[in-house]
Amino acid sequence: MRIKIGQEMATGLLFILVGIGALIIGKDYAMGQWNRPGTGVLPAILSVCLIFTGGILAFKSYASGDSEITGLNLKPLIIITASVVLFGLTIDHLGLVIAMILSMSLCAYGIAETKWGEFAVFLAIMIVGAWLMFICMLGMPINTCPAFAECNVCWLVKRPIQAIYSMFNWLVR
Amino acid sequence: MADFFTNLALGFSVAFTVPNLFWCFMGTLIGTAIGVLPGVGPVATMALLLPVTYYLSPEGALIMLAGIYYGALYGGSTTAILVNLPGEAASVVTALDGHAMAREGRAGPALAISAIGSFIAGTFATCLIVVAAPPLIKLAQQFAPADFFSLMLLGLVLAIVMASGSPLKALGMIFLGMLLGLIGTDVNTGNTRFTFGISDLFDGIGFVIVAMGVFGMAEIISNLGNTDRRDLLTSKVDHLYPTKEDMRRSTMPIIRGTLLGSLLGVLPGAAAVLSSFASYAMEKKFSKTPERFGKGMIEGVAGPESANNAAAQTSFIPMLTLGIPASPVMAMMIGGMMIHGIQPGPQVMDQKPGLFWGLIVSMWLGNLMLLVLNLPLIGIWVRMLMVPYRLLAVAILFFCCIGVYSLNNLATEVHMMAFFGVLGYIFVKLRCEAAPLLLGFLLGPLMEVYMRRAMLLSRGDPWVFVQRPLSLIFLIASLILLIVIILPNVRKAREVAFQE
Repeated sequence: MRIKIGQEMATGLLFILVGIGALIIGKDYAMGQWNRPGTGVLPAILSVCLIFTGGILAFKSYASGDSEITGLNLKPLIIITASVVLFGLTIDHLGLVIAMILSMSLCAYGIAETKWGEFAVFLAIMIVGAWLMFICMLGMPINTCPAFAECNVCWLVKRPIQAIYSMFNWLVR
Repeated sequence: MADFFTNLALGFSVAFTVPNLFWCFMGTLIGTAIGVLPGVGPVATMALLLPVTYYLSPEGALIMLAGIYYGALYGGSTTAILVNLPGEAASVVTALDGHAMAREGRAGPALAISAIGSFIAGTFATCLIVVAAPPLIKLAQQFAPADFFSLMLLGLVLAIVMASGSPLKALGMIFLGMLLGLIGTDVNTGNTRFTFGISDLFDGIGFVIVAMGVFGMAEIISNLGNTDRRDLLTSKVDHLYPTKEDMRRSTMPIIRGTLLGSLLGVLPGAAAVLSSFASYAMEKKFSKTPERFGKGMIEGVAGPESANNAAAQTSFIPMLTLGIPASPVMAMMIGGMMIHGIQPGPQVMDQKPGLFWGLIVSMWLGNLMLLVLNLPLIGIWVRMLMVPYRLLAVAILFFCCIGVYSLNNLATEVHMMAFFGVLGYIFVKLRCEAAPLLLGFLLGPLMEVYMRRAMLLSRGDPWVFVQRPLSLIFLIASLILLIVIILPNVRKAREVAFQE
């Protein structure tokens, strides 16, 4: 027989697990004196409260029924999360352009309705737009291209834009 | 009274400079654009643009952030009326009668009334802030650490009251949020807590990271998981101007909504959402034909729209006077202040009067801009709604990534956001609201600091919390509220109120 876990039961169990985990990790934190609470006091209080709340939730689910968890869909969860992680892995060393291509394509792969032709055009617009906005205009310290392939091509575009932007700044100030 | 005008004059002199007007305009414009799109809320937008505000003057930064907030509220109601999709939680109620009006071919008047109502509410609420802020700040300057602690406790209890789901889940989410907030170095002792030895966690987890994961990413994941998504039956907008009859019928609801919203807005939690629900229920009570609500009653648009805008304005009061973030949006404002090295709290008004009054006046200006600019721009917003979600989702996800990365240029923070995205999706599926978690996350560490400070000042005497009258009042109020939630018949009434 399959055991069905309802919403409240699952929430309760999650709270209890996190609470117990926090208690175990925090067991060595200093408690201090009763009138000068140390590092470990609040974590311990909160963990116990969390376990207690989780317990009541689980009990309520057991005693008076629960509503089912519906519409759980793992595919977007995994792919969207993976594309965010991919962005984090690539941005430092491979630069903005490659990170965008890789992570956004993976994300699009996770969306059932993606039309790849349309997506390619959209991706190109996004890359140019992001580069203009974040790197040229705002001057955020993000690599555009891979760190090992530094070139000065985009410099030709960057400088005029920066000049115009700083002129605009000067004008509105 | 003389103070009232000198303060206003100072505010106008700051807000009426070219750059500040420009940033106010940009804020409202971006806010509206984001608000129109379902799936990205004001919190996520402000989080995205927070790093950008680093490059502006402090005044410009705060004015723009505030503009995003009320712009997003306004944009949310546009979507609600035109496509029956609430762009923001606060405009769920607007969708009921607003969309019914749109189906009758009266989308124009519905949009116009919601803009006019919002403007009137915004004007009133701004005046209220100007009048109420100085005395409140005087009061706040006398707050001792014990009072702050009890006030925050009251805030957390209120967050439970306002959460729309089960109060028990909200309570658990607050505890969980407070635990998450403790991650990092304990400021009093220098010991680290729950860092798992990861050095990037020593400074704690950034609020923006949690907010973007739990709101931005989780939203996309759950939207993509739903098979039936948007039905884009955009109604045509022919004539904008409401008839005399419409105006007459909306007058009282706008006044009632404004008063109700201004009052509820000061409370922490999801004030804008609650006040629009409350106003709808109230209009239904006052109406001679309550059965016609949901079928295109203009009162059902005018009231809630005024209420949520008034609440949005007055929810700045706790942030401006006490420096306490009463909602995730206000936490973003505080984040904006901190980026510019301004410590939020009662001292801001005295130390930075230009910033303080400029921000308040700019809120009114922003509302004026919304009224003047947005009605003609409706065509553009309608077109924006046509952008398919398959592209939008990719773009939003990218903005989340680059927004988090640009905070500190740390790839690990992007990975942390991914973690909170997964957590947020689990919460969505378990029907646990994320707002109490964020409030706990924000207030937990603050409360610990104030508690320790209070104990230190009283030399370890815990009775300090009940000996100070203000603190005692807050504690008693929290206790009463807690008892009220537990009482079964109140709980039933609350469930009914939220179902409407």
